[in-house]
Amino acid sequence: MREPVVVSGIGTLGSFGLGVEALQAALLSGRPATTEVDRSESDHAPCGARLAALVGRVDLSSWVNPAAARRMSGPSKLAVAAARMAVRQAGLGDQDDGWQDTAVVMSTAFGPADFTERLIRAIAIAGPATASPFHFTESVANAPAAQIAIDCHARGPNVTVTQREAGALIAVGRAVAQVASGRVRRALAGSVEEMTPLLHALLDRFGALARATPELAEAARPFDRRRNGLLAGEGATVLVLEREADAAARGATVLARVRAGASAFDPTASRVGWGRGAARLALAVRALLARLGLGPRDVDAVVSGASGTRVGDRLEAEVLRAVFSETGMPAILSPKSITGEYGGGHLGAAVLAARGGEFGPTAGFEEPDPTLALRPHAGGSLRGGRVLVSSLAAGGAGAWLVLERA
Amino acid sequence: MTGLGAVSAWGWGVEALARGLRGGTSAIRPFKRFDHSRYRTHVAGEVPLPLGPCPLARGEWARASWADRFALYAALEAARQAGLALPVSDESVGVYFASSTGGLYESEQYLAQRWRGLKPRLSLFASQQLNGPGDAVARRLGVTGPVLTISSACTSAALALEAAMRDLLEGEVSVAVAGGADSLCEVTYSGFNALRAVDERPCRPYRSGRGGLSIGEGAGVLILETCKNAAARGVQPLAELKGAGSSCDASHMTAPDPEGAGAALAIARALRDAGVEQESVAFVNVHGTGTPLNDDAEYRAIRRVFHDRASQVPLTASKASFGHLLGAAGAIEALVTVLCLRRGELDPTAGEGDVDAALPVDLVREPRPLADGVGLSTNLAFGGANSALVFATWSQ
Repeated sequence: MREPVVVSGIGTLGSFGLGVEALQAALLSGRPATTEVDRSESDHAPCGARLAALVGRVDLSSWVNPAAARRMSGPSKLAVAAARMAVRQAGLGDQDDGWQDTAVVMSTAFGPADFTERLIRAIAIAGPATASPFHFTESVANAPAAQIAIDCHARGPNVTVTQREAGALIAVGRAVAQVASGRVRRALAGSVEEMTPLLHALLDRFGALARATPELAEAARPFDRRRNGLLAGEGATVLVLEREADAAARGATVLARVRAGASAFDPTASRVGWGRGAARLALAVRALLARLGLGPRDVDAVVSGASGTRVGDRLEAEVLRAVFSETGMPAILSPKSITGEYGGGHLGAAVLAARGGEFGPTAGFEEPDPTLALRPHAGGSLRGGRVLVSSLAAGGAGAWLVLERA
Repeated sequence: MTGLGAVSAWGWGVEALARGLRGGTSAIRPFKRFDHSRYRTHVAGEVPLPLGPCPLARGEWARASWADRFALYAALEAARQAGLALPVSDESVGVYFASSTGGLYESEQYLAQRWRGLKPRLSLFASQQLNGPGDAVARRLGVTGPVLTISSACTSAALALEAAMRDLLEGEVSVAVAGGADSLCEVTYSGFNALRAVDERPCRPYRSGRGGLSIGEGAGVLILETCKNAAARGVQPLAELKGAGSSCDASHMTAPDPEGAGAALAIARALRDAGVEQESVAFVNVHGTGTPLNDDAEYRAIRRVFHDRASQVPLTASKASFGHLLGAAGAIEALVTVLCLRRGELDPTAGEGDVDAALPVDLVREPRPLADGVGLSTNLAFGGANSALVFATWSQ
C-alpha cells in the first residue's frame, strides 16, 4: 500500500546563504553568489574557471553543536545544519517517538573531498604514519548521513547514494518509496557537497566548468547558445518526508507532496560525460508519469537540471522535447546557474517551484540555442502545481521526481 | 538469485573463490599493489595476477580502474550464469551497485604524480568517481533501467542488494544486477592502520588475541530477479533472497554500539521482513572483521536476537579467508552464504587459535554439512550503519 508522502520541512544552505528564504531570494534575484576560488596551489589551468558557488565562512552554531562540530568534516557540518533546519521547520522534537523508524538517505557526488585530499597528501608527502584517524573516519561518503543520524537519533536505514548529479533525486525518490510503503515512519533525505580548490581545478581540467571567453564573462548559461560549462557549487539540502496523514495528525505545515521518483541510464554516455540516448530517457519519464496516472499535459513546470554544459543541456533539451512533443513545453526553471551544481540547491528550488510564486530570470540565459528549441523561464510568476524535476548525471544516470502543491 | 560472479584474493571467478573457501586457508598475505614498507602492517587480500580474461576492448580495459575491472569481470560472470543476453537493452533491468572508494587508488596515483611535478594522465582521475564501477557495469551490459550506487562504507553492498530486492518486489524492475566492488588503496590501508584496526597477521575473527581486520579487494555480483521472471526465462534459481533489514546505531562514527542494539535491530528487521523466526536460521555469515570491538558488538547483537541459541547457531566468518572488501563486503559475503546453501555445506573459517572465551560462539572450523534452510548475512559499518540479509535454499 503506497500512501501519499509530503515534505514537511526543508533545510538548505549554499552560496545563497542559510535557509529556504535565502534560496528563494537568490532565485528571485536571478543572480548567483559566486566567489573566486583559491588558485594558489597551481592546480588550475591558467585560463581555467575561477568562480564557484561556495558557502564561505558561516556561523552554523545555531544548528550544529560546536563540540560535535569539532568532530566533523565540512560536509558533515553542512548536512547536520540543513537537517536541523528541516527538522525544526517540520516541528519535530528530539523526544518524538518516530526517530527509531526514521531513515536517512543522503547523496553526494564526490564525498568529503577536503579530508580525502588531506589524507592522500599526508601519505604521499609525509608518509602513511601521518594519516589522521579523524580525517579517515570523516572521509567516507556516508559520514554526513551518519552524523545526521547521530544528531537526530535516527535509527532507521542509513543510506548514501553516490550517483553524481542524479544522486539527490535518486535519494529522495528512494526515501519516498520507503515512507510510502510504511517500511519507515519518515525520512530525512537530500544532498551535500563541498567544493575544494583541487576538486574545482580537476572538474575544470575535464572541461566541465564554465570559463570566461574574450567576449563573455565566466558564468553558467543553461540552454544558452554560448554555454560552455557549469558553475561548481557546494552546500546541503535536506527534506523531512513523511506520510501525509502523519503530517496532518501532527498539524504540520505541508510544503509539497512528492508523488514518486524514477531513474534510468544512458549506456551511450562516457565515464565522465553525457550520451545520446534521449529517446530512452524520455520513455522513462513518460513511464513515471503514466505510473502516476498522469500525462505530459498534467505537468505545470519543469525544474530542470540543465547546468550550462554543452552536451548535458542538449541531452536534457532532447529529453524534454521528446516528453512534451505533443503538448508543448511547460515553464522551465533552471536554477543551477544560481545555486551551482552539487549540494542540493536544485532540490530546494523544486520544492519552491511546486508552491509557486515569483522567480527571477534564468541566470546566464541570454541567447536561445536554435538547435535546442527551448527557452527557460524569463522571470515572473510561476503558478506552481505539479512539477517535474530532472537531473541527468555525467556518466549516464538520469533521475526525476514529481512534486505537487499539497 | 540466478547468477553469481566474484573476484577475490582467491582469483578471478566464483570457482576460485569456492575452492579457496573450502580449503579453509587464508589468501591474505604480503601484497604488491603499492609500497607498504613504511606501514605498520604488510598483508592484504590482494587479487592475484594474471588478470582474468579481459571483458572490454584492450584500451578500455587498460584505462579502467582496478575496482571497475573487478566489477566488470564479476558482473559478466554473473550475467553469463543467469543466461542474460547482452546487451540487455531493456528498461526492466537495473544495476544496484556499491563501492566505498571506487577508483581512489588511481586518484592517489594521479595526485602523487602531480605533487612530484610529473604530468599524469587526467583519465587516471576519471576513475575517482564512486559511481565508476556501477556505471561501468551498466554501460557494458547496455542497461537502460535504474542505475544506483550506494556508498555507505562496509554496508554499501548489503544496502544495494536490499534496494534491488525492494525494486523487484515493487515491480520497478524484473532483473537486478546487484553487487559491489572495491580495490586496495593507500587511504583505506593507512586509515585503518591509523585507527590501529589492522592485524599484522591475517585477520582472526572471533578468535582470542585477534588484532584487527585485514583489508581485501574484489567484487561480488548477484543477479536477482522475480521468481516469475526466472520461470518465464526458463532459468533455475540458485537461492532465494527472502528479506532484508537495516538500521543505524546513531551513536558513534567508528565504534559500533557496544551493546549491539543497532545491529540486532537490523537483524530483527530482516527476519521480520523475511517472515522467518530466529529458530529457523541455520547459520550466520557474520561481518566478523576481527577487530576486538566489532566482533564483541556483533556477538552481543546475535545474543539479543538468538538468545540462548547464540552459542549454538553456527557462524562462518569469510573475511578470515579473503579479507574485508569494504563496500563490496556485503555482496561477496551474500554470495558466500548462497554458495553454502547451494552446496549443503558450511565452509570452515580460516585461521588458527581458539575462539575468544568472551564470545562463546560456534565458529565453524571444519567443513560441516548443512541441511536445506535459511542463512543470514550481516554487515556493520562506519557511521553505525547495520544491515542483514536473509537467504534460503531454493525450493519450488
